[in-house]
Amino acid sequence: MAIGLQADPSEGVAGKKRWAMVVDLRRCIGCMACVAACKAEYDVPLGVWRTTVKVKDLGQYPNTKRQFMPRLCNHCDNPPCVRNCPTEATYKHEEGYVLQRYERCIACRTCMAACPYNARHVLPNNRSRVKIGGVVDKCTFCEHRVSNGLVPACVQTCLGRTRIFGDLNDPNSEVRKLVATKAVAVLKPEKGTKPQVYYIQPTQKITDQLSSPPASYAAKADAEAFYRHNKGRQFFGGVL
Amino acid sequence: MFEYSWYHIAPWGAELSVYFFLIGMAGMSYALATAPDLFGGKFESLRAIQTPGLAVGLIVVGVCAPLLIMDLGQPGRFLYPIIYFHWTSPLSWGSVFLVLFTACIAGFYWAKNMGNRNDLLKPLAIVGSLLGLSMPLYTGLDLMVNTTREVWATPWMPVMFTVLSISSGTAMIAIIAKVRGVTNADAMAILHTILLASVATTFALFLGLVVSLLYGSGEMQQGWEILNSQYGTQIWLLTFVIGILLPLGMLALPAVGRQPTMLIGAGVASMVGAFMVREVLLVAGQLPQLYY
Repeated sequence: MAIGLQADPSEGVAGKKRWAMVVDLRRCIGCMACVAACKAEYDVPLGVWRTTVKVKDLGQYPNTKRQFMPRLCNHCDNPPCVRNCPTEATYKHEEGYVLQRYERCIACRTCMAACPYNARHVLPNNRSRVKIGGVVDKCTFCEHRVSNGLVPACVQTCLGRTRIFGDLNDPNSEVRKLVATKAVAVLKPEKGTKPQVYYIQPTQKITDQLSSPPASYAAKADAEAFYRHNKGRQFFGGVL
Repeated sequence: MFEYSWYHIAPWGAELSVYFFLIGMAGMSYALATAPDLFGGKFESLRAIQTPGLAVGLIVVGVCAPLLIMDLGQPGRFLYPIIYFHWTSPLSWGSVFLVLFTACIAGFYWAKNMGNRNDLLKPLAIVGSLLGLSMPLYTGLDLMVNTTREVWATPWMPVMFTVLSISSGTAMIAIIAKVRGVTNADAMAILHTILLASVATTFALFLGLVVSLLYGSGEMQQGWEILNSQYGTQIWLLTFVIGILLPLGMLALPAVGRQPTMLIGAGVASMVGAFMVREVLLVAGQLPQLYY
């Protein structure tokens, strides 16, 4: 058993599934349909996201290119969020998902501090329809859909087929073939988290987005507005 | 350049650094308050500050409780790390130790003043002091285990937090000693020695921090840049000058540093540093990954 985790990594284990996602960056057009589908599937409140698409213009006129970078929980095989959770509210599923038990979560944000991908957020308390609030939430790879034979909402709605989902242990699955044949990369491999979201053909410039603060005037203004709504601070200011 | 970024809130804010500071101070206050019964000898000179020292520990724990409840949103949540104990999480251990530490403070007070159980004093002093010093240890470990935050993921983080707690707890006891009129030579010498040693160790650890940030990975250098650009006053003036150099200068000569006024002045200055260094470390560990 992996130390501090509830299930051993299932990748390559016969008879077990290992769900994974491949994101083909050549196909993403930045339509944000995945973001909208995810918001609709879970009634994700304003100001927080389970999945996002970062957008950045690269180069100088006339040689410019707009790059898109879909982001979500990487459902790591060595998830630091799971190991650090004081109540085992977040746990490793035997099929690879990293899931959240809301009834145990104490909103200590240890998992948020542990995650190098900023894939977690705190749900506000005052939600109008879904009453789950004051706990940490994250992408679940749409476990409720996948266990019923569907693909995640973001994959279902992706019009460019950028997001491809499947069982990495199934030799006939599309994700397995893509990971085996294409030049894929994972985010922040140096952190040792063994992430299970693979990106096809990420250039250095795209992955550099992971370590560059907002530079444009618009992005900086957006950031200021965002933090202004959090009592003017960049830090968590109590369960909303 | 067009950008469409998604912004994130750093999970741990000022309430955590306040908690780290207070709970560490409570631990060392208890250790010094129980030292007369544990060691005897020259430590008997601290007996007059025993009850107020214990009271400080209890009051500070009492302040920390609502602070934690406010941070977690609901009172009952504090019990969850104990009920659903997860052994790889320092926070789980810390929750258990915090409850046991509080019980030790109350138990020691009872055994000393109400129960007349002198046989329990030494065991309670040993166990309680270890639990008290485990408070800063666990808060440091709580940062250290976040291996993906490079600024925090260093083994000297819990060491530094413990040393900072020793200095702030000693400073608090020095203040109490002055207020209670306990200014005998032995008491002042003990407090001076502990404070000087802890501040000098903090100085060495601070230099280590600076060097590791300056010559560390890209993320660490970014943390260093953020600290210097946005938190320059906190790290250089309040931490380094006021919190480390000033008390070090005041305590360097024993003849001068053992004077009650100088000891208190150095203690208060070191408390400022002990709080601020936690604050800047908390910031430096989180902001480099805020936008990504």
